[in-house]
Formats: sequence, structure tokens, C-alpha cells
Amino acid sequence: MGLFRRMRHIFHEDWCSECLAEMELTRKQLYAMPEQRVGHYISHEDAEYYQKALVPVRKKAEIPTGTYACGLIEYRCPACGHRAVKVSVFLPVREEEKVEQVLYFDHGEMLTWPN
Amino acid sequence: METSEKLQKINFLYLLLNIVAPVVFMIGMTVLGLALPQQIGVFFSIVGFGGAMLWWCFLGHKFYEKTRGAQIRKLEESGFVPNHTFNADGCTLIVDLVNAQVALIFRWNPGKAYVRPASALSNVRVDDGRGGAGFLEGSSRVSFLFTVDGMNIRVNTFTSNKRWRMDSDYILTGISKADTMVEALTAAGANK
Repeated sequence: MGLFRRMRHIFHEDWCSECLAEMELTRKQLYAMPEQRVGHYISHEDAEYYQKALVPVRKKAEIPTGTYACGLIEYRCPACGHRAVKVSVFLPVREEEKVEQVLYFDHGEMLTWPN
Repeated sequence: METSEKLQKINFLYLLLNIVAPVVFMIGMTVLGLALPQQIGVFFSIVGFGGAMLWWCFLGHKFYEKTRGAQIRKLEESGFVPNHTFNADGCTLIVDLVNAQVALIFRWNPGKAYVRPASALSNVRVDDGRGGAGFLEGSSRVSFLFTVDGMNIRVNTFTSNKRWRMDSDYILTGISKADTMVEALTAAGANK
């Protein structure tokens, strides 16, 4: 694979880390994080935490004021079949979102989603 | 547990003591230093100046935090349930959703905790401090306000000496905190 494409991969979150092909979005879900409140956010990087702490919601309006939310997006590479999950933690504030943390799990740690 | 005393944001004796007592200490130590041999005298003057500075910059606030902690403990012992506590620079607001009450402890009057029924609060709202137009639009203060006993209380959730864009992390966090507290106050008011 060309060096140029490898460099471009840095700026494309939906490119496969194995073969650098463009991945397709297979599913996404919004979650509330009842343990995480505004002013008391604690950063977590282990998939185990997210498996336990997330509560699925249908829309942003269901998340109580001052509670953090989390968006999970799963990608699948059509070329090599590799799967990756993007975890985006944010604080919904009226119509805006304050992004707190974005994580990628591409070793299969987040393939089973909390429900 | 409700108190009927008139709300007093500033206890002038406490405020005066906070300003004057360190000055008296500083002058006293300097005068004492003058009466003592040179090196010990200089040491006393430095201790006097340092002590006063320490009080104004650090110990005064520590003392307030300690007094506030004691007041909150006293409230809890009397059956007050602190469901939401917000510590701002000027006051501390505690919401009890169970008994539908609100407690207020002021920075310059920490010796008293004023407890009122949440339904006594009116005009509860958020002020995002939005100002300016176009690319200059922003805010340097986010707060929530309410009126109790005819007195307007403003509790800041964010303050800065510069203006921040309305979508900046600081402003969004301030708005979220203010929204949360307004929601808690409204819920407590509706409980009764």
C-alpha cells in the first residue's frame, strides 16, 4: 500500500486499519451515560467500562439534562472483513454537543454492544 | 427545618474582619519587629506580611469552605436531603427534592444557612450572557437566577475575563450546569 494512502488514512476514521480500504457503516446507536454528570466527568478508555455503563436511548431528547451521552458506530471493511467500533462521548447541551472523548476499538473489544 | 430569618447576602462584621484582621496582624507584627533586634524584627515583619497575604489569598477561602461544610452537616442532621449542591463563587445552593426545600449559604455570610420552600422561588431562569454580534458574539458569564423573598440571586456557573464563543467548551459546560440546576429547582418547586 502506498505511503501517500497510509498518510491519508490518518485523516479518515472510516478507513480500514488493516488494508486501508474505505469501510462501510453497519450499525449505530445512541446511549446515555447516567454515571457521568456535567462537571464530574471521568475519562475511561477500557471497552469493559462502556459495556457496563451505557443505557440505550432512541433519541437525544431522552437523555436527562447534564448527563453525558455516547454514540457507537460500527464499521466493516468490505475488502478484508475487518470490523471497528467508534465510541464518541459527548455532553448534549441544548442543540449543541460538547465532545469529550473519541475512541476507536478495532481489535474486537466492542463488537457486542450493551442493550 | 425552614428558616424565617431575613436573607442577608453579606454579614458586614464578617467581611470587615476578613479585611481588617489581617491588616491589624500585619501592623502588629511590624511594630513588634521594630521593638526587637534587627534580624528577629525583620523576621516578624515578614511573618506579619506573609500571614496577611496567606489569609487573603488562601486561608480566608479555606475557612469559608470549612464553615460551609459544617453548615451542610448541620442541615443533613436536621433531615435536609442534599440532592443537588452547587458551589459558586458567591454562594452555595443546595436543593432537597424530597422535602421540596432549597438552602442558601453565602460567601460573605457563611455562619447562616437560609432554608426556604422551593415553591417560594420565582423567576428561575438561565442567563447565558450572550452578547456582541456576528463573529464577536460570545459570553464571559453563564449563570442561573431566581428571586426569593423579593431578593434577586445570581449564581454563576462560569465566569471569565474574556469573551468566549457560544459553542466553546467552557460556555457549553456552564450552560449545561445552569440548565441542570434550573431543572432541579423547578422539579423541587413542583414537588410540593
